Amino acid sequence: MFNLILRGLATGSIYSLTAVGIVLILSTTNVMNFAQGDTGMFLTYIAFFFILRGIVPSLTLPIVIVAGAVLGYVVYKGLISKAKKSSHLGMMIITLGLTMIFEGIVATFFGNIPLLFPPLIPGDPVHFGSVILDRQDILCLVTALVVFGILSFILYRTKIGIAARSIADDEYASRVLGIPIDRIHSFIWAISFGLAGLAGIMTAPRLSLQPLFMVVVQLKAFTAAVLGGMNSVTGAIWGGLILGVMENLVAYYVPAIKESFSLLLIVAILLFLPNGLFGSREAGRS
Amino acid sequence: MKKKILPFLLLVLALLIPLVFNARPSIVAYINLAIIYAVSAVGLNLLLGVAGQISLGHAAFMGIGGYTSAILMMRYGVPSIVSVLAGGLLAGLFGLLIGFPALRLKGFYLAIATMALGTAVTDVIKRMEVLGADRGLTNIPPITIFGYQFSSEFAKYYLYLAILLLTIFLVNNLLKSKTGMAFRAMRDSEVAAKVFGINISYYKVLAFVISSFLAGVAGAMYGHSLSYLHPDMFGFGLSIEFLAITIIGGIGTLWGPVLGSALWIIVPRLFGTKLEAMAGVLFGVILILVVLFLPQGLSELIMRINKLFSRKEEGERS
Repeated sequence: MFNLILRGLATGSIYSLTAVGIVLILSTTNVMNFAQGDTGMFLTYIAFFFILRGIVPSLTLPIVIVAGAVLGYVVYKGLISKAKKSSHLGMMIITLGLTMIFEGIVATFFGNIPLLFPPLIPGDPVHFGSVILDRQDILCLVTALVVFGILSFILYRTKIGIAARSIADDEYASRVLGIPIDRIHSFIWAISFGLAGLAGIMTAPRLSLQPLFMVVVQLKAFTAAVLGGMNSVTGAIWGGLILGVMENLVAYYVPAIKESFSLLLIVAILLFLPNGLFGSREAGRS
Repeated sequence: MKKKILPFLLLVLALLIPLVFNARPSIVAYINLAIIYAVSAVGLNLLLGVAGQISLGHAAFMGIGGYTSAILMMRYGVPSIVSVLAGGLLAGLFGLLIGFPALRLKGFYLAIATMALGTAVTDVIKRMEVLGADRGLTNIPPITIFGYQFSSEFAKYYLYLAILLLTIFLVNNLLKSKTGMAFRAMRDSEVAAKVFGINISYYKVLAFVISSFLAGVAGAMYGHSLSYLHPDMFGFGLSIEFLAITIIGGIGTLWGPVLGSALWIIVPRLFGTKLEAMAGVLFGVILILVVLFLPQGLSELIMRINKLFSRKEEGERS
């Protein structure tokens, strides 16, 4: 039982990483980013390319984060900021276009065949008394903890983070106060895409590497974000962790509804608990 | 007079297509696939482009229609006309069920909910032994009407073309009717529509039902055409494809979805098998460009060029 919960937390931390990226972008830029998962997929393939060139797997972590940050900046500056005039739905469709581009590029260069992504830290599972954990799971948990620590420091203690939260609160007022909206937005996109890469590289060793491997994770991340109220980063973190644990318990005790569980959860929450568990204000649902 | 000639010419051209590709049934098979996609995309266009409701689960309705029609025909020997319609109707019924939650959700949240429901449908089909579960459904018979089996690609072509034209004819009439106007009013401003006494709930659910019905019919055609169905065919990816087709072709236009489907099916073949995936990149780029510059999709481009030419002609005349 305890083992199930810990493993659930490890899976959940991946959901959290992805969900936080989605929520950061949604709350500041007002774009529902359907490319979060596929961005992670794309960056993981970049990491895989470096591993094929003989780089140690664990070294791809910083590569992925930096590449993700650059990609996020480019996507924001090149596409999203240009599309501000069109509707929010239009911007969402742009992110769907991005997923097609990423999947197409990867399928062209690597094919659709599942590839084996090496574990970031090799070795046997670790025993803590009766609890057995993969090293990969421990890495997930630790990375998530560190990332959330850094993130909350940025959001609550630095000028950029406070500006970002103020934009999420009221973009117009922030503009009046002289906050450089565009710069903050591009910063948030860079962070989110970095997180996407991190989530991708954490997921890849558990599943096999193929162009669609992050689609399921993204779906779970949406569930987590909805569970957390869609506009709160803390909510997204807790939502992901709770979802991971619940899913593991459900898969063990009620295997019949394993796959559909999170899907039904999304719909149920959207209908009956529209603010999620941590949503601070009426999100508007629009 | 000039206006009437062009559609007539196109129709003659469409009827001649099988004769042109007489030696290459595979090309006609692709055209058939494009027609099936077009029927489904017309449905999504009605929902998205006319009524303004987004759906990321459109493919699931195709799956429901496809499985229903196939099972009815294979297990119960129901005539094709009835089974295809039943496929559409059951998909429409599911559309009704999904339409109700949609009343409470807007924009992004509707997108997420429909995505979840669409994915759930494929998961459920995978679980159902009756539907062949994860192995898929094989040996689905082709459509048979009054003893004539539409098994060759050429026969299918004429049948599917007729279905597509009928669909467009009906949708065109619908758009001109009170219902169509109510859809558009709802899309442009829900508040204003409400002020004019339009029953928003009724029309939203109706839009979902009609669009799912068309998807269901298309799914039934798909199943009988390929003689094989698998739940993974109708996943999230296909729903995105239909969204892209509709937007690329021209959202809210009558012929846009047809144009989008034709491009979607035919362009990847031009790339050859090795670079087929690059077509996805191309469509992604087109999709983004359309959102940025052409709100009415490629049909707008064609209309603009058309206008350019007609203006030139006018200039020459005067």
